[in-house]
Amino acid sequence: MHEQGTWLHFLYAYHILPEWLPEAVPVTWLVIIVLSAVAILSTRRLERHPRGLQNVAEMSVSALDSLVRLIFDSPLGSKFTPLIGSFFIFILAMNLFGLIPGFMSPTANINTTVALAITAFVMVQYYAVKEIGVRRYLRHFAGEPLWLAPLMVPIHLIGELARPISLSVRLFGNIFGEDMVIAILMIIVTMTMANVLVPVQFPMMLFAIFTSFIQAMVFSILVSVYIAVAVTEEHAEGHGGHGD
Amino acid sequence: MAYLVALVIAIGFGLPIAVISAAMAQARTASTALEGMARQPEAAGRIQTAMIIALALIESLVIYALLIALVLLFIGIPSSRTLIQKVVK
Repeated sequence: MHEQGTWLHFLYAYHILPEWLPEAVPVTWLVIIVLSAVAILSTRRLERHPRGLQNVAEMSVSALDSLVRLIFDSPLGSKFTPLIGSFFIFILAMNLFGLIPGFMSPTANINTTVALAITAFVMVQYYAVKEIGVRRYLRHFAGEPLWLAPLMVPIHLIGELARPISLSVRLFGNIFGEDMVIAILMIIVTMTMANVLVPVQFPMMLFAIFTSFIQAMVFSILVSVYIAVAVTEEHAEGHGGHGD
Repeated sequence: MAYLVALVIAIGFGLPIAVISAAMAQARTASTALEGMARQPEAAGRIQTAMIIALALIESLVIYALLIALVLLFIGIPSSRTLIQKVVK
């Protein structure tokens, strides 16, 4: 599975970027530039009655905000909307970039998804410590009956560490898998029906749009569930409620 | 040669087992979610959100199995002798 080239391969040909840098990194920069351009263009000359691009932006922000508040079950969840919404839009844009001919999904590279998962993990711990304090945060690892602590602490630690691993592997596996299916369909067509090149990968690409949405939504919802569980530790609920 | 035969048999039987169990679990999830939505249409939005999360979590287990299959196919496992030699060096 060697690296395939994208439109940005000229950066490597002209030695602007070193050879060891995965192709996913300049594609990620391009995604960041495109998202920033859309954000800046939609917030210039804000109007009271939004039209056009500002309308689209406001609808997406309010949809993401209502999704976050649904997970948190309270209006206080709105303070986490920037983080969760940014995860969703960024991951969705990165997933969809692979379907544009000539580009690749940066999330089809395990490094991108591990970076996203580590960021989410660090933010969950940060918000937990910020909202409920260091002492209660460390106390929640010990579980409910305090004398069971030597058993519960390793279990909780492993469960806590399993979350970023599962987040990253789930996103990487889904996006890489659907990219691989599209590539293999194209290879099969060219190897068996080389005279009549039928684009049989097209229905799979439509399905890939759907799974890109689903995977971005699942990542964002899971991160918001982890933050919600870590932040609302006041009532002594057991740890059987939310799965990892 | 025997390694390739063993590899094909392992992946050819292991991956479908993961897929079958995930399909049965997802079918049960979807059916109970639909029953709940039919019984209380006003809770349909929340049930649908929870169902999507549950489906994605079950599907991720299949993705883990697929990942191991891909690693075995394209990266391969070295024999224990070469592994020990690499570690000792």
